[in-house]
Amino acid sequence: MQTADPNANKARHDPLEKVPVAQEPEMTEGVITHIQRFSVHDGPGIRTTVFLKGCQMRCAWCHNPETLRRAAELQVFAELCIGCGACVERCRRQAHEVVDDSRVFHRDRCVGCGRCAQTCYAKALVLVGETRTADEVAQELFVDREFYESSGGGVTISGGEPLMQPEFTRAILALCKRNGIHTALETNFAREWSFIEPLLTLVDLFCVDIKLLDDVEHKKWTGISNRQTLDNLRRLDTARKPVIVRTPVIAGLNDRPEQIHAIVDWLGSLFNVIRYELLPYHPLGAGKYLALGHNQPPQWFKAPAPHIFEQLTQIASLQRKP
Amino acid sequence: MTPEILHTISYEERLGYLRAKKEAQTREKLRRLGYMDEDDYGLVLPPEDFSWRPKPNHTNGSFYGISGWSKNFCDLLENHPVYVDPMDALAGRYMFLLNRMRSPVWPPELDYSHLKPEQEQYGIIHGIGNDQHLAPDLAIGLSLGWGGLLEKVRHCRNQHGPDKEEFFQAEEDTILAIQNWIRRTVNAIEEAEATETDPMLCENLREMAQVNRWLIEGAPRTFREACQWLAWFSMASRTYNRDGAGGQLDELLRPYYERDLRDGRIDDETTVFILACLLLIDTRYYQIGGPDAEGSDQTSRLSFLILEAAHRLKTTCNLTIRVHDGLDPELMRKGVEYLLEDRKACPRFSGDKALVEGFMRNGYSAAIARRRIAVGCNWMGVPGVEYTMNDTVKINVAKVFEVAFEEMMETTGVSPNIDELWRRFEDHLRKAVLCTARGIDFHLDHQHLNEPELVLNLFCHGPIERGLNVTNGGVDMYNMCIDGAGLATAADSFAALEQRIEKEQVITWRQIAEHLRNNYEGPDGRRVRLMMNTAEHYGQGDSLGDLWAVKISRLLTSLVKASPTPGGRNMIPGWFSWANTLALGKQVGATPDGRLAAEPISHGANPRPGFREDGAATAMVKAIAAIQPGYGNTAPIQLELDPGVGKGEEAVNNICSLIKTHVDLGGTLFNINIVDAQQVLAAHRDPSKFPNLVVRVTGFTAYFANLSPDFRQLIVDRIVREGNAVA
Ligand code: SF4
Ligand code: SF4
Repeated sequence: MQTADPNANKARHDPLEKVPVAQEPEMTEGVITHIQRFSVHDGPGIRTTVFLKGCQMRCAWCHNPETLRRAAELQVFAELCIGCGACVERCRRQAHEVVDDSRVFHRDRCVGCGRCAQTCYAKALVLVGETRTADEVAQELFVDREFYESSGGGVTISGGEPLMQPEFTRAILALCKRNGIHTALETNFAREWSFIEPLLTLVDLFCVDIKLLDDVEHKKWTGISNRQTLDNLRRLDTARKPVIVRTPVIAGLNDRPEQIHAIVDWLGSLFNVIRYELLPYHPLGAGKYLALGHNQPPQWFKAPAPHIFEQLTQIASLQRKP
Repeated sequence: MTPEILHTISYEERLGYLRAKKEAQTREKLRRLGYMDEDDYGLVLPPEDFSWRPKPNHTNGSFYGISGWSKNFCDLLENHPVYVDPMDALAGRYMFLLNRMRSPVWPPELDYSHLKPEQEQYGIIHGIGNDQHLAPDLAIGLSLGWGGLLEKVRHCRNQHGPDKEEFFQAEEDTILAIQNWIRRTVNAIEEAEATETDPMLCENLREMAQVNRWLIEGAPRTFREACQWLAWFSMASRTYNRDGAGGQLDELLRPYYERDLRDGRIDDETTVFILACLLLIDTRYYQIGGPDAEGSDQTSRLSFLILEAAHRLKTTCNLTIRVHDGLDPELMRKGVEYLLEDRKACPRFSGDKALVEGFMRNGYSAAIARRRIAVGCNWMGVPGVEYTMNDTVKINVAKVFEVAFEEMMETTGVSPNIDELWRRFEDHLRKAVLCTARGIDFHLDHQHLNEPELVLNLFCHGPIERGLNVTNGGVDMYNMCIDGAGLATAADSFAALEQRIEKEQVITWRQIAEHLRNNYEGPDGRRVRLMMNTAEHYGQGDSLGDLWAVKISRLLTSLVKASPTPGGRNMIPGWFSWANTLALGKQVGATPDGRLAAEPISHGANPRPGFREDGAATAMVKAIAAIQPGYGNTAPIQLELDPGVGKGEEAVNNICSLIKTHVDLGGTLFNINIVDAQQVLAAHRDPSKFPNLVVRVTGFTAYFANLSPDFRQLIVDRIVREGNAVA
């Protein structure tokens, strides 16, 4: 009795033993905000999404303010602070101070080194923005590969804007492809084609946002033109790469039927759009903005009313391959 | 709506009526019995003016032994109110749990005080005196009927001498009492039929009477008779001692279904309705799908109809789909689809590969291992031939950790370090396992004197033939369960100490001991607690906590498997804490993982709630697959998912992938709750507004409103902190 190895059917490697990394490590570095496992809305199947930090657009409604700047930033969630004072001692730049029994943060002195966050066990201080090599990121992305295989999922690179770190993006994608993992890239596509072309063989699925078709409006609400995005979408089509096009819908801003119709019509000339999706905007509380010392976007950015969203979804579903 | 005003009543309307009635009965239970931190069981309350109390046969006011149980059970059934509903396909409801109506549950003469000090020291749930928790072979009953069973008992009685007279008399009386209960119910059905004005319901009652009249003696011949027979078994066995083990329901019923279908006696709509009525009477645990003894898939049309019945019923049901390589993928997809749509945490999924390979390590063949099917909260059993005490024996490893830690800190001349702590933990866990093993022996040697299994003996191969109770040599296989509880609490405690004291050196052993003594109160307590709480923990993936959890689980496994009990019984390790996390938590002071004194310990094999900021289901699936003891008992995963996981094809596909991957990695049992965190929060504030909200508590499901506030809090913590973290 009981002679067989009780661990024979365990996880494929013994968790008590570290597996050596075989390949030459890919040392290209980049900055990420975080890695999300079991991400089920960023492409097909079960995926892991890595969010790169830094974006060239400034969408007025942006609800991920921590992804805007490339540099590491300290998020301060004052309501979680227990007043232990550890941060005051840790910071070499005197960015934290205790004044009249309460902690005061001088953002202008902070260089985002993260020393204080390491000792803030209350998680009142959280550094967002980690510099990692592509290899380190890939190791984490590969952890769930069994799930990718059984669900038809894979890895998604998102942001921020991944094309703002093109080398890093390329390096991660290449590692994924080398390991046979399906890849998706979520992008606003607002960079020159020369940044995109090298990725064509590395990306299985592009997910591109068109926020507004009218360029005047686009500039007004995002800070830049949509010409490059549209131009790249055409080129991508010529390159026969599948793409999912998406529009975040914000009440009063781009939720008029004719605005969605216009996008549907425009997409009508493309061959490789596998789906056109609308995403209802989710306003967030003020916390994330305050934590970074940003102003909250105007309160009127709201999700569209359900019946309107329903109507728009029907319009979006008209999008068909010609 | 009352039955009288309905004329052509569809099955859907009838089910709607029966469901509403069940919900009213559930509210009534809450009103009359208060909170119940357990399964709903399908029990219905007797009329308020009805009362019955068991007669003690011991000076302590309790009852014991063959005659104590037999007399009380027979008397209860003699007086049990009968229950007939013209809308129902099946007759009867049960109203009592006899084993809950006596105290103390163990006769004082059978003294085990020599075990008590260690049982208390290590927080051992010893299981001594705990009943049922074995798998009946219902095919015995279906093929013989009550009359055939009676004949069998009488036949065997003749083979034995006078020393077995009391045993056989009690078994005979048990059957006679059940037959009498059915007979009285037949009279009630006939009375109802006489006054029923609706022709369709009248016809239903006529058939119901016919079915039940036959079943007093005869073995079931039709599908409806077979379901009604299962219902009587369920009601009798629950009444006797809350037994809830079912069987391979699709295979048990398939011959009747196929015959009726062939002969034009039944259609699928009727089949589903009858099945729904069966599931409504009792929340019994049934397996569907999975391999037969040779490994071929058993999925049939009926497997789908059983799922469909639970889906239409939308109450608490306990169906388990056995996932193996040959499983009809459609059955799994359908199960997941209903799981998402109904949000009733049904069905669950068990992992054939690990269960079979694991059980074979105990020296059994693959054919036997495949027959060890899901029939309990977290557990499997081979129908009719195995006795297990599954889910009744537990060691609180959080408590063992505390004993080891305190001993190390109090021993002079020892400089505390993590290796020293581990050595002591190992030592105490070994003692705890031995003490538990002795308790198991004690139970097996004496339980027949305390509480014979008069109902379940009938559905085993051996007890009647040998004249021996199932606990006492009646069956061939004794594979005794030892579950660990509080894995994450212990693993996270080891990890936090290693990280903060030994690796980072930000606190000392003495300091942390002081904080634990003070329950993290006093100067700096809050910061230190957060510091310990935010150390790497189990479930994060490749963390220190994950490593410690694997180490602890392997230790428990090796200690349990090192030798059989002193009495020579095989033991099988698992991780499961059932509804005991609250009570077990009360035994343990503050722990180095930041848990406060008396807070619940972690649940079963699960990481603690909020184990990852993103709550990634994949992380949990891998973590729990990695700590499986691997001998055929389970260490279930209890996963909370927000409805945000999506709908339709995609979501079904993703959840199937989670389940399949877990099973491939060695997972044994997968429980999923799809719940809206906001709804659970709202229900926590005012449960009465959500009378139909069903949640999976552990291995069982329950109406949220009927759980105690403490227990609801536990569920809320788990769901709100994990479930809503879907990207
Ligand atoms: S370390 Fe964190 S909790 Fe302590 S004072 Fe600073 S911000 Fe507050
Ligand atoms: S991140 Fe660095 S510079 Fe900024 S406050 Fe913290 S310790 Fe000071």
